[in-house]
Amino acid sequence: MYRETRVANYFLAAFSAISLVLLSLPLTGPVRSFKACLVYVLDPVAYHGAQGVARLANLPARTVSLILADIENREFQTEVRKAALLKAEIEALRIENKRLSQAMGLKVPGVRGALWARVMERDPLHWYRSLMVDAGAEQGVLVNSPVLGQRGDTLVAVGRIVEVRAKSSVVLLLTDELSSAAAYLSSTTLEGLIQGQGGAVLRMNYLHSEAALSNKDDVYTSPTSATFPGDILIGKVSRVNPRDPFLTFQSVEVDPAVEASALKEVAILRPAVEGGKTP
Amino acid sequence: MTRILRLAVLFVVSMFLQWWWSAHLSLWGLAPQILLVLTVCVAARLGAVAGMCYGFAWGLFLDVMRAQLFGANALALVLVGYGTGSARRQLDVVSLASQAMVVFLMTWAYFLVTGLCGLVFMRTFLWVGWQAFLFDPLYNCALVPFVALFWEALVGKP
Repeated sequence: MYRETRVANYFLAAFSAISLVLLSLPLTGPVRSFKACLVYVLDPVAYHGAQGVARLANLPARTVSLILADIENREFQTEVRKAALLKAEIEALRIENKRLSQAMGLKVPGVRGALWARVMERDPLHWYRSLMVDAGAEQGVLVNSPVLGQRGDTLVAVGRIVEVRAKSSVVLLLTDELSSAAAYLSSTTLEGLIQGQGGAVLRMNYLHSEAALSNKDDVYTSPTSATFPGDILIGKVSRVNPRDPFLTFQSVEVDPAVEASALKEVAILRPAVEGGKTP
Repeated sequence: MTRILRLAVLFVVSMFLQWWWSAHLSLWGLAPQILLVLTVCVAARLGAVAGMCYGFAWGLFLDVMRAQLFGANALALVLVGYGTGSARRQLDVVSLASQAMVVFLMTWAYFLVTGLCGLVFMRTFLWVGWQAFLFDPLYNCALVPFVALFWEALVGKP
């Protein structure tokens, strides 16, 4: 046998043995993590769709979190780019609206800016009444500023500021008994007054006594509201109360669009700036 | 020294090329197996041992890129290197036509070995699909002249 052939056979045996050992031994977590991170850097597409789910299934939890965080980050970057386009469109529409309003002799609506704050504290005794957020006078928060929460992609009415401290503020929730806001029903544009009940459900009073009400309606803030800007979602009608012959109006029960106990961040709207750009 | 450096550059550049082509230039999900063609090319020019060494290292790279079965590609490319190196004694595997024929057969052998590894270690034959099974050998064959040119440009004529 030639020497070259003998050496080749030795190499074949050695490499085959190593490959078989690698094939038969389970990979440790760090090795799997390294492999996954390297593949993700070289070919991120491999972690999308069904193939990605299969690849993530056998990885350590922290590596999965890391990769998913990056995937989410990329998605959010796309969302931000879309939002920038949307903002430009809104700005153009606002300018057009201002011009048309001026041409018709209507008052030009003011522009509000939003300040985002984190929920710091909830009082267990007043679960549906108030919560504290980490923005205060130093950040420019004012008493009676409307507070909105996030549900998916939309902002929904949550409450208003009732107490402002240097670095924190107290939000009076819509579900508090002392809260009320002018609102309308989506199908009929009937206006009424949303009032808190001290529990998870709101009540909408003063609806026209003869109106046909349905429990599929959404409830939005009215443009006549002293606190909230118009057309902000409040919730959905959950029950139409039976008519009371001694009352001159009807009422419905409303499920808030966002559960106050689920809030992590809120947007506090700043006062409107007349005809200006977003503060 | 220069030759060793060039071979090292060939090793790294070919891995980059394989990744780049698979990620950006795949047609209907098919990309040529540059590393397999290069393993045949190395084994044909430098012998079975060199082919197996390169094949093993490139196989490990492919295994890192793959979700399952760490070691299957390394084993398959080692066998490709050994097979081509052994055929060198009977055939002129350096000429383009015969090398294309070897690549054609070795692609199917490669599919067979990885599939059998799946059958043994995962209890599922890792079938690449009819599309890859039928067209990948042709795709790889088409790459042989370019790989030869690449080899001559980087390493030089034997």
